[in-house]
Amino acid sequence: MKTFIGAENIISPLGITAEENFNSVKKNRSGIKQFKKIGFGKEDLYLSKINEENPENFFYYLLSQCLQSIIKEAKSGIIEANDTIVIISTTKADILENLSSPMIEPVHQLIKDFKLKHTPIVISNACISGVLAMNVANDFIQSTAYKNAFVIGADIVSDFVLYGFQSLYAISDEPCKPFDKNKKGITLGEGAGGVLMSSDSTVFNAPFFEFVEGTSANDANHISGPSRTGEGLFRTVTKTLKLAGIDKENIDFISAHGTATIFNDEMESIAFDRLGMNNIPLNSLKGYFGHTLGASGLIETAICIQSLRTNLLIKSTGFNEIGTSKELNLLTQNLETEVQTILKTASGFGGCNASLIIRKL
Amino acid sequence: MTNYITSYCHILSNECWINGKKIALQNSDDDITKQLYNYLEMDYPKFFKMDRLSKTAFLGVELIKNNNLALLNYQDDEVGLLFSNPISSAETDLNFKKSYQDGGMPSPASFVYTLPNILLGEIAIRNKWYGESVFTVSENFDAAYFLSYCNILLNKYQEAVLCGWINNKNGNNETFLFLVEKEDLNQLNLQLSLEQLNELFRKK
Repeated sequence: MKTFIGAENIISPLGITAEENFNSVKKNRSGIKQFKKIGFGKEDLYLSKINEENPENFFYYLLSQCLQSIIKEAKSGIIEANDTIVIISTTKADILENLSSPMIEPVHQLIKDFKLKHTPIVISNACISGVLAMNVANDFIQSTAYKNAFVIGADIVSDFVLYGFQSLYAISDEPCKPFDKNKKGITLGEGAGGVLMSSDSTVFNAPFFEFVEGTSANDANHISGPSRTGEGLFRTVTKTLKLAGIDKENIDFISAHGTATIFNDEMESIAFDRLGMNNIPLNSLKGYFGHTLGASGLIETAICIQSLRTNLLIKSTGFNEIGTSKELNLLTQNLETEVQTILKTASGFGGCNASLIIRKL
Repeated sequence: MTNYITSYCHILSNECWINGKKIALQNSDDDITKQLYNYLEMDYPKFFKMDRLSKTAFLGVELIKNNNLALLNYQDDEVGLLFSNPISSAETDLNFKKSYQDGGMPSPASFVYTLPNILLGEIAIRNKWYGESVFTVSENFDAAYFLSYCNILLNKYQEAVLCGWINNKNGNNETFLFLVEKEDLNQLNLQLSLEQLNELFRKK
């Protein structure tokens, strides 16, 4: 039994559909811009932010709009079906309006508004939440516990997260430059991303793809610094390739995590070097969307699906010259090529790493 | 496929039970996490940097290990971790927010614990475990989720799965941890099922 994936959606400053977002990044347009006096020390900093001022209940708005868009691309009625689960990926959820219990209210609201048969599963696993949520969806589908999974992720920009990353000296004072020699850290972003996954190919209105396999692995090294040997990333990619029965030579493209912090990007380069995969075309999409935390894995996978649809790989914006100790094959121009199989990876605080493979049928 | 609950423990605000037996703690006004740290005669300085959520999960795993030494015989990627709670890292989130309000500076030591999955990292670091790990947030103990995902992980990747539910809402502590393995190594005769999980969750 295969798991299929499609009906992808992205909500960001660049648009409210995956196609709009893809058309923007393809023209090298970024959602990142400067905001005046927003940092803890009233610095001017860069963000990929949807509105100047958030409307009320903005987290739920993003989540529900994303789900609504996926539903429009799916066979009618399946959102209410008994064999359908919704999986939510988020790090901070409704942090602006409900700091003491940010996740339960949005779940209740979704059940009510979308007449869900099962309580959604909320995955909160730092920056790998999105990739992990799809892996969990695949596991549940393969076990036949559910036939369909709507996987949606969202996070919003907040002073809380901005000040936190500032306290770690991890925020860039210019738009982020993943893997570049002159990278200075993260640019935060906000948005939502989602996909439909199913063992039933008839639920997709548009062409769909195969979700081959996905796994995770911890670094078992440090809670806020990535492993110096890229251990967890090395292990999850090795495991995903093995379970998928795919040789690394058959991976056409890697959608990396690439946050533009020195330690993260260096760790990824070491892991891909150890894997013998540093010649494979690769990008980080953080230069377009910023780091959208719990949404990032889903937004970036949705862009990968668009690449499968169009045979167009997107250049890694912000990158000029390699800034990691190991070579990587970063895309400096968009590349039109036959794309069959894509590896998506993510790494995050808590030493967590995850990877997944999608491909054309 | 039959899997077995081979150890379980409950940590409450002022007492702790392992496999249904109450642990004799020294009567003390200290927080339960400190009492358990002393009881386990631990020497692990990193423990004192952790937030309460991580401390509780961490100690639960130490108690289960103590009671199930075979857990140490697995390969480093054979043990999976499934943990869950109802409020994410809200307790530490409030502390972090306090750190930068009223003229203070944002505390990096507090910020790194504003993600609930940090506890998975703490457990992985302590035990050098590189297996699958997932943190979920749910309103109540979701036995159905633990049952299905445990079975999936044991079927697909793992030889053992450590599960934990930590209800730390309103400063309380209501923690339930259990170890699931493919064989009934501890001979507790507890097959993994929805009924069994709900029963063990309720009874101490």
